[in-house]
Amino acid sequence: MSKRKELEAKLIARLRDDVVCVEKTDPRTIFIDVKRAGIREASKIITNAGARYLCSVGYDNIERDGTLGMIHTFALDDSDQFVCCRTSAPENDAIIESITPDLPSAGWSEREVTDLLGLRFAGHPKPKKLVLADDWPDGIYPLRKDVPHNLVPKGAEDVAYELDEAPPGTKIVPVGPFHPSLHEPEHFAVYVDGETIKGCDYRGFMTHRGIEKLCTTQISYNEVPFIAERICGICGSVHATAFSQAVESAAGLVIPRRAEFIRTMMLEFERIHSNLLWLGVAGHLIGFDTVFMQAWRVREQIMWLCERLTGNRKTYGMILVGGVRRDITPEIADDIRRVMKTIEDDLAIIHRAIEKDTSIHKRTKGVGTITKQQALDWSLVGPVARARGVDIDARRDHPYAAYDEMKFEVPVLDSCDVWATLVIRVIETFEAIKIVRQCLEKMPGGEFFVEMKDSIPAQRHAITVVEAPRGESVHYVITGEDNRPERWRVRAPTFPNLQAVPLMLLDEQFGDFPIIMGSIDPCFSCTDRVAVVDLQTGQASSISKAELDALSRQQQARHASLKG
Amino acid sequence: MTTATLHPIWSYVQVLLNLLVFLALAPLFDGIVRRVTARVQSRQGPPLVQSFYDVLKLLGKENIDSTGILPFRLAPVIAFASMLCVIAILPLAGRATAFTAYADAISLVYLLTLGGVAVLLGAFASKNIYALIGASREMTTMIMVEPILFMILLLGVLKTGSLDLSAVIYGTPMAAFGLPGMVMIAVSLFGLQAFVARQPFDMAEAEQELLGGPFIEYSGPNYALFKYYMMLKQMFYAYLPIAMFVPLLGTGFYLADLALQLVLTAVVFLLIGLLSATHPRYRIDQAIRYFGVLFLIALAAIAAAVVL
Repeated sequence: MSKRKELEAKLIARLRDDVVCVEKTDPRTIFIDVKRAGIREASKIITNAGARYLCSVGYDNIERDGTLGMIHTFALDDSDQFVCCRTSAPENDAIIESITPDLPSAGWSEREVTDLLGLRFAGHPKPKKLVLADDWPDGIYPLRKDVPHNLVPKGAEDVAYELDEAPPGTKIVPVGPFHPSLHEPEHFAVYVDGETIKGCDYRGFMTHRGIEKLCTTQISYNEVPFIAERICGICGSVHATAFSQAVESAAGLVIPRRAEFIRTMMLEFERIHSNLLWLGVAGHLIGFDTVFMQAWRVREQIMWLCERLTGNRKTYGMILVGGVRRDITPEIADDIRRVMKTIEDDLAIIHRAIEKDTSIHKRTKGVGTITKQQALDWSLVGPVARARGVDIDARRDHPYAAYDEMKFEVPVLDSCDVWATLVIRVIETFEAIKIVRQCLEKMPGGEFFVEMKDSIPAQRHAITVVEAPRGESVHYVITGEDNRPERWRVRAPTFPNLQAVPLMLLDEQFGDFPIIMGSIDPCFSCTDRVAVVDLQTGQASSISKAELDALSRQQQARHASLKG
Repeated sequence: MTTATLHPIWSYVQVLLNLLVFLALAPLFDGIVRRVTARVQSRQGPPLVQSFYDVLKLLGKENIDSTGILPFRLAPVIAFASMLCVIAILPLAGRATAFTAYADAISLVYLLTLGGVAVLLGAFASKNIYALIGASREMTTMIMVEPILFMILLLGVLKTGSLDLSAVIYGTPMAAFGLPGMVMIAVSLFGLQAFVARQPFDMAEAEQELLGGPFIEYSGPNYALFKYYMMLKQMFYAYLPIAMFVPLLGTGFYLADLALQLVLTAVVFLLIGLLSATHPRYRIDQAIRYFGVLFLIALAAIAAAVVL
């Protein structure tokens, strides 16, 4: 607990009366309450003490004491601790000092809070709209408690987002909302001089559907994991696990060890499929469709495995508050071992081919370069950060589920480019296979679900991180009345990484735009927090139920024959 | 060559035959590339005639004229027509057509360039930023690659001392290759993907970056014409090294020569498919460096041919 004392001493020495309290209850999380005058100074002190900025959470406390709350969250990666620095501002004077000038990646968090809660930030370098639609009326803040979840305000005509001025001598290339290198609707205005990128502005959040609002007004704790899983079409289990862990931590619920092992396995399955998916997309983005097809062919194995395991290729519905929904039987364990072997062998072939391919080197080495210092300044996470020499991995630094028992390497490279990201994601796939095998080996018997019996007291704060394939996801939960969270904040890995993309693009060639953009594996839906509708199921719903049943049976038969 | 002995009517039939061979086979050869690519990617791939279906489908679609200006509508017609002219003057399998005598190596290069210029014309007329970037890449590629083509033809001119097309194209294999000839074979192999604008040199169309580049605003029949033009152009560029560097059988049977050349062209397409399936797309700056080296080697070969 020395870190806590050290921080407390530093804060009190510098801020004196502005520090309201430093909570001592939770060993892993340090909650610090400061008066709003000291918030910027406090966050500076915390970062200077070696903490890494995660995200900021705003919440509505008007009914209780007439204030809007703001929490800046940080991680102490060396000592497996989190620091949550809380402050508040009265509703009628809703303004606090911005920390963005010190921590650039706080920019979006603060803009989001301004949009959704009406809390303003003095000294913010770019106080533009971020999340809300361009024609959303002023003065309605959707995350405030007095705004109903189903409010549909009247749309306005002729309202458009004002993009940044193009630097002199440049042309604007509009990328998106629909463009083959973006797989979801987002808009980039890329300013090019000839073919050299001189800057870019981003307008995203086009598919914001207010999942957080929905889950804090309509449904209960036990149902949220299923919605959380639908935040992302790729890393659903990550969000479900992160939410469940936050609730379990707030409730003080200890889940069975076997459930933690199964969660670990599901997360690693997701990592394998996501890394292979990304590898394919990266190949496609540099015009190398053979990599795309081959990587996805290998990936198909894990999709079928998950279908046999959970009934679904994706969106498994495995994670519950209190454990998991299905057990791993000895038969399915053999199946898993067999599939892991196939994927390992096939991926090794692809890996060897890519490793020596000079034309892939040409398109990825020295592309999208930013320095380690810039990566740290912008709080990059995941493979994108590890490719820039930043040695962080939530699985190792803040172990959750069964990761404390797992042995795995965290690859860190320092060539700071797209190539390093690619290598890291391939290595991590092999590491994920290792982890799955360890899970099967070491998994204890017993229960895999424990029911939450007591109701969770309101106004408890909890923060958890889960390492998604593309980086760390942060979930912050404030418990509430009526068996549902009062505030739930999801920060997907794309949220910080996307903010640094303009920096990666600067002075690169326009031809490299797709792969630089793609190198962070952007998940716009995570960032926007929407429910992604799979095109395939959309199609399937239009055929009759009998046809669907017949199709499913064919599929099952195919799997059975494959297994045999 | 052998034209003198033929009846004049035959030389006109020859024109039609040339056109027929190219129009019928170019989409099939495109199908070969698609199939080869598919096999490399562990896919089954489309039927060989898929490119015919594509063109047919496009012909039945609405022709959207997004700019309403004449150059935009004319561009695909000019491109297609220029390619037909190239085919009409081509001495296929060593037999000159009615028009070969009126053309020479220089008009061949002119007509090929005209097709490229028509693509640029359409791109600039469409006033789309993606088309403009694509056009600028296409232009850079043309400036670098056309001289290489010209030098390959020039070797034939130097060998035979004539600009006559039959002499230029078939002069090289008939005379001794020599070192410059061998170098030129290598140059045309290494330049192949650039001539046919396939990976790694499809920067101008670059689907993931430029969404088709110069052709982005085109649809329906106009786009079909461009597609057909591209396929004919690719077949021409795949056929050219075969004609220039593989000697004719000399059996006197025209069909035997033609069949051999076409089979070899199909093999070239196999190679094109393999190369494009195993390469990512280069960036334009990387491509320019590559063309630069190729240009210098070709120049050296020409110099050697002059000196030796």
